[in-house]
Amino acid sequence: MLQSKGPIDVLQISRRQPRDVQQDIEQFLFYEAALLNDRLFDEWYELLADDLHYYAPLRTTRASREQGLEFSGPGDLAYFDDTKASIALRVKRLKTSSAWAEEPPSRTRRFLTNIRIEHGDDPGEFHVSSAFLLYRNRAERQTDIFAGERLDGLRRCAGAGGYQIFARTVLMDQSTLSANNISFFF
Amino acid sequence: MGSPQSGGGAPLFDEARGTINPAIYADPEIYELELDRIFARSWLVVAHESHIPNPGDFLASYMAEDPVIVVRQKDGGVKVHLNQCRHRGMKLCRTDAGRARGFICSYHGWAYSLDGDLVNVPLEELSFRNIDKAQWGLRTARVDTYKGLIFATWNEAAPALGEYLGDITHYLDGILDRSPGGTEAIGGIVKWVIPCNWKFAAEQFCSDMYHGIFSHSSPQMVVAAMTDAPAQDPTELTSRQFRARRGGHGTGFFVSPTQWPYRIGHSGEWVPGFNPDASLARSVAHIGERRAQMSYQHITLFPNFSIYAGVDTARIWHPRGPGEIEVWAFGLVDKTATPEEREQARLATLRTFSPAGTWEQDDGENWVEIQRVLRGRVARQTPLNAQMGQGAGPADDPDFPGALSTAYAEEAARGFYAHWQRMLTDADGFVASREAYRNAAE
Repeated sequence: MLQSKGPIDVLQISRRQPRDVQQDIEQFLFYEAALLNDRLFDEWYELLADDLHYYAPLRTTRASREQGLEFSGPGDLAYFDDTKASIALRVKRLKTSSAWAEEPPSRTRRFLTNIRIEHGDDPGEFHVSSAFLLYRNRAERQTDIFAGERLDGLRRCAGAGGYQIFARTVLMDQSTLSANNISFFF
Repeated sequence: MGSPQSGGGAPLFDEARGTINPAIYADPEIYELELDRIFARSWLVVAHESHIPNPGDFLASYMAEDPVIVVRQKDGGVKVHLNQCRHRGMKLCRTDAGRARGFICSYHGWAYSLDGDLVNVPLEELSFRNIDKAQWGLRTARVDTYKGLIFATWNEAAPALGEYLGDITHYLDGILDRSPGGTEAIGGIVKWVIPCNWKFAAEQFCSDMYHGIFSHSSPQMVVAAMTDAPAQDPTELTSRQFRARRGGHGTGFFVSPTQWPYRIGHSGEWVPGFNPDASLARSVAHIGERRAQMSYQHITLFPNFSIYAGVDTARIWHPRGPGEIEVWAFGLVDKTATPEEREQARLATLRTFSPAGTWEQDDGENWVEIQRVLRGRVARQTPLNAQMGQGAGPADDPDFPGALSTAYAEEAARGFYAHWQRMLTDADGFVASREAYRNAAE
């Protein structure tokens, strides 16, 4: 089940999944993370569903009574609010050799943990919550660490990964982003 | 540091030679002088009116390093208070935004009204018998607005905001007032940290169309290929750069009806139902054909507020020491925009000019690397070239008044640094006074 947290739908905290479903989805997420760590963007792009919504809202520090306003909403700015078409533009840009923020490339490592799974509305669809830690090191000494929760919508399919990603919402555990840019995918 | 000499004795900025002493980006003493003589004496953008529409709405912002509370008053006006309790200096408001009836300090409970008056001191009758609360209200800045932008200054001697902005308003209006009703902010302020001096950002948006060709070649190559658009040589378009008569402001742009195609292309998709021709026609009717065709316009209002109108991203470059800024970026959209236009504008700005934007990512990379190089003693003493466009002569254009050159020049940058240097070396504050603004051009 999903429940709303301001404008964001998060997973209700409930029972755990059978071991086979849990392991299958975890393996898919680790496979996906490995593609991104290794900059295999074309292979990663193949995992995206045509109806993808890739989203990372802004976050502000609010009083307890205004926690519902913590995340930016649908008509507001965001770090990412992308479709498969705009992700295609981003992937092509990264492959031009003049995308200077990634030329020379960064070193990134994605850590995913606390993976919780719920069945979606349609058979074969799952809502997956994970905690992420993304480490980026670039050039000589630049080091950035991003932490947060990721909410993924996965759809079972034939093909290499076994799933397609139709939704990704990245909830950053920061309000002012302590980095000079986001030149990678969560 | 009392003289404009540093880093090996070279002048900080030499307009005739077109050279910049790079110490200005790294020297902590120069930075402290900037806080005193530039930021505390200038009109600074702190928010947009649409961030705080209702009485009690507040936004915690900054004037350089000083935290301020920008708050809508019961009478509809705006006040800007130093975000510092008068008792022990505790940060009074510790959230980013919200709605309040007043502000209570979390340390000892001193309470202030929306207009900054000290209204309650706990244990006042027992222990603060002599306090005159009327003397202990919040420190409050001068405030004025220009077409939705809220400005504040600590400088009582500063000219009125209109005089401060001067002749750049003709160009600023091409963004803020290009359709009936003007512009408003898209919800949300994107905030991030770039370890670089504030002037790299402010000067680039003031004057630098040049870097777009190379720094931002990657998204342009991709979009040209995806849209089958014919390759366009930007140097063949009519372009203009404007240097303000005084005040250090500057802007540059192309005169070409291609801004909406650019926004659509770089959004990666065309929002269904959006009609760019209708949007352009609305601007033509409101401000005339050639000003409506100002495209890819960059502009800086001295010292640290900029807009890139290619995608209508506005940003404050809050300085955080000589080697760091916080970027606070928000989007602008015409109040009369259709829902489809609003959505196209939102997608264009967030997908290009934000930390993950396909254009902005690379700016962050450039400024960070320059700043790292300036750790070097020799690097801080090696003059930088700002000669672009010197000797080219002015361009005349009946629709674009003032000092003009082509967009591929650094005339506006030279105006920015010349004004910066005049303010930095002005101990008594005359350069930033209303008397100075009533004199002839700088």
